[in-house]
Amino acid sequence: MVIEQLPITTTPKYNFPQENIALTLPQTFLELSIQSIKTVEKQPLCLRELLNFQQDTMTTLPVPKHVIAKPISLKPKRDNSVVSAADVSSIKIGETSTGLLIAIRGAVVWKQNSDYRYLRVGPFLFHVTEENKHEIYNRLRRAYFGFVHQNRKTAGLHSTSTPNLMQMQSRLTGLFEKWLQMSMTMAENGLILWDGALTAGTPEAPLDVVERILEIARKRGAVVMGFSKMTRLRFLGYRITDLLTQSKPPCLLKLDGYSKVCGPIRLLGDIYVARLAEGNCAFRLDLDRKLPNEQHVEAVQRLLGNDIVLQGYPETLRLAHILCTFTANEVIAMQRFIANKMKLNMVSRPNIRRILFGPYGKGDGEAY
Amino acid sequence: MKVYKKEGNVLQILCFPDEEVEKGDYLLIEEPKAGKALIAQVIDVQFANVPGILEELLRSSPDGGNIEGADFDPLEIAPHITYIQDSRLLICKVRASVNNGQLSPSKSWFPSRSRSVVKKLPVSRLLEAIQARGELPIVLGETKEGSQLVIDASSLDGRLNIVTGKKETGKSHLSKLLVLSLVQYGASVVVFDLNGEYAGLGYSSDGARNAYYHRIHVLTPGRNFKLMLGQLKLRVILSILVHALHLPGTSAREFRHIWKTLKEKNELTLYALGEAIRNWRCNIHVRDALFSRYYALVNSGIFTDNPSEASSLEEFLFKTREKGGAVVVNLRDTSSIDRQIMVEYVLGKLVELLSNWRLRAVFLFAEEAHLYLRETYWDDIVTRMRHFGIFTTFITNQPDSIRSSIYRQADNIFLFNFTNENDLEAVSKATRVDAETVKSIVRDLPPRHCLVLGRAVKDFPMVVKVRSLDVKAMGRTRLFFEKRADLLEKVTVPLEELSKASG
Repeated sequence: MVIEQLPITTTPKYNFPQENIALTLPQTFLELSIQSIKTVEKQPLCLRELLNFQQDTMTTLPVPKHVIAKPISLKPKRDNSVVSAADVSSIKIGETSTGLLIAIRGAVVWKQNSDYRYLRVGPFLFHVTEENKHEIYNRLRRAYFGFVHQNRKTAGLHSTSTPNLMQMQSRLTGLFEKWLQMSMTMAENGLILWDGALTAGTPEAPLDVVERILEIARKRGAVVMGFSKMTRLRFLGYRITDLLTQSKPPCLLKLDGYSKVCGPIRLLGDIYVARLAEGNCAFRLDLDRKLPNEQHVEAVQRLLGNDIVLQGYPETLRLAHILCTFTANEVIAMQRFIANKMKLNMVSRPNIRRILFGPYGKGDGEAY
Repeated sequence: MKVYKKEGNVLQILCFPDEEVEKGDYLLIEEPKAGKALIAQVIDVQFANVPGILEELLRSSPDGGNIEGADFDPLEIAPHITYIQDSRLLICKVRASVNNGQLSPSKSWFPSRSRSVVKKLPVSRLLEAIQARGELPIVLGETKEGSQLVIDASSLDGRLNIVTGKKETGKSHLSKLLVLSLVQYGASVVVFDLNGEYAGLGYSSDGARNAYYHRIHVLTPGRNFKLMLGQLKLRVILSILVHALHLPGTSAREFRHIWKTLKEKNELTLYALGEAIRNWRCNIHVRDALFSRYYALVNSGIFTDNPSEASSLEEFLFKTREKGGAVVVNLRDTSSIDRQIMVEYVLGKLVELLSNWRLRAVFLFAEEAHLYLRETYWDDIVTRMRHFGIFTTFITNQPDSIRSSIYRQADNIFLFNFTNENDLEAVSKATRVDAETVKSIVRDLPPRHCLVLGRAVKDFPMVVKVRSLDVKAMGRTRLFFEKRADLLEKVTVPLEELSKASG
């Protein structure tokens, strides 16, 4: 299939002095982005309901029957390991008569010695419609996670069904995040920080993909660490992140006994509660289950020694989050870009509640 | 540009980075189909309040340091982001409206946000529309666009004008320009020159006589300008004694008798006056008071009994009647008392000549008038004397020295830069324009640039760079470190060096 491209080309390798992080640019993402936004031409663009999509880890796992609740005291270990982190943001920037306009951007931040560096990729704009959603989703999966399809075919399984239109934002975000995480495994002997738990089996984080990423990282001597800002996990009715309030930071508490399987969801990491600095902030930390406990503890100690940890959260991951998040100004800029490029007529979608109920009409999501 | 808000006669216009608009510029907000438009002036330029800007700025500098990195922005959205970041909000004052091509002072028309077309209105076009040039054009200088700002000399005729601004911004320069322009059109001008700055008006910068040489008459009291008592009317000498020398009422009464007696005898000389006071039958305290004033008159050096030394102000003023001219009263190096004596005399003489219709009208330029003009004269000048034909232009660097009532009655105000809040507050009392315009524009005026308000520009405030004059510079500040100051003026620091120095 010949894709009619806008005059935008990419260099195959990103030309930034990188010693340990090497990213091949997401050519297919770009191609599909350009291809899809061309379908939006001369349609009215509704600007309401611009909600920032933030993927968080709200996985509900069964309460454990037993927990070895003994905090492990930590000592920072400095060895000049590369600490890298990735995060992805997506936002719906508008609706057209046939679909949605979605923007996705990712950021990779790494710290070596005392320098932080970043690579921000995107934003990619997608016009997702009922007509093109299959092509976008499946082509991206094939392009970046082709091995999964191959494995599934070999195992006699069907490929994952295409999500509905409203799910496309989270699916595309998931695909892009997994692509970034895969690229980060190039860092040998490094510490790779993910935003969220090491859970798999969801459409956004297919089991085969996450397992493969972890496997590559292990082979390269890297440790993947998943930091969750929010968690629903509880122990004896208490939120697990409250378990270390009495312990002197930095410390770690391993929570054993949680089931590794919950329906289609698989837990690929051991669950810890990490309180890495003074203050009230403790986080759920998932560490690759296939690595021994000693290596888990050592990885956290290396993180403490090689990254700045403020409020118990690694600076590298914080920067990745900050860099990829869209600001309101950027949303306006993207709307302007798409409107100019595709000659769109921007309109405000009428608020049905406001029309029907006047001042008594709450926001769309506020039905009491 | 897009119309964003309208509150009263304040319009807020959204302006994008590729549109060049500055403070003082005029905009035309037009609805072509309706045949209506508003003319608004930009009085302030702000960043548009775009959401998310703070987050972006903070993000670009995490923890106060720079994070090195790069963006792979395949769709090239970054320029759009900076475009929005740099968008500006123009705060504009509506000055007039246009209805089917006719200019109207009414500002009530409400433009449409969606249908209005906003564009810059060149000052030259505006000047054409308001016909500011008139039949007696005075080229004040250049506007920012490079077009000439021309006012009509008749807009100064019969008007009260104020030229004000902080030191060394070009007030006297503009005053000289106005003086020469009025002289050129045959007007009679009297200048109270406090610092001897106008003495060189008859010479070009190279010291040669210029076209105005024969029309500029510099009178230096006590030197080339002396008076005989006989030239003075009783009213004028009493004015000097009472207002300049503060002679009490009882003593003034006695003086009146002495003066009348001497006049009857045709003995109005300094000597005779001294003798008369000495021999006059009166209270000793009155005599002492009269003597002290008498010696003040003698010591001023303005009065003489020698007819060959005496000059006549009338003669100089009459010289200006035919082809125009300026009488410059050089008050430099004169004491405060002598200054007041001279001013009382000149003003008294002017009123006398004007009330007899021996002079048609006089343009009076008064530099730092608060230093020699008595309290009661201020109101007199702006109300009563105007009817006699004295049209005053006050020039000062202390705007609070002029009463707010004077500002309110001023017909034209030429404002140079002010940064001091109190000064801005004082000048903003002018009724010809709103306080916000004055405060916002005047604060940022570069030297030699002037905001012209009032009738001369038909109430469309305009910024002009005052044109240079080929006139001998006089009254320069005397400096101790003269050579060093010259050097300092020449020092220029390239921007790159500054940037390097600041790391």
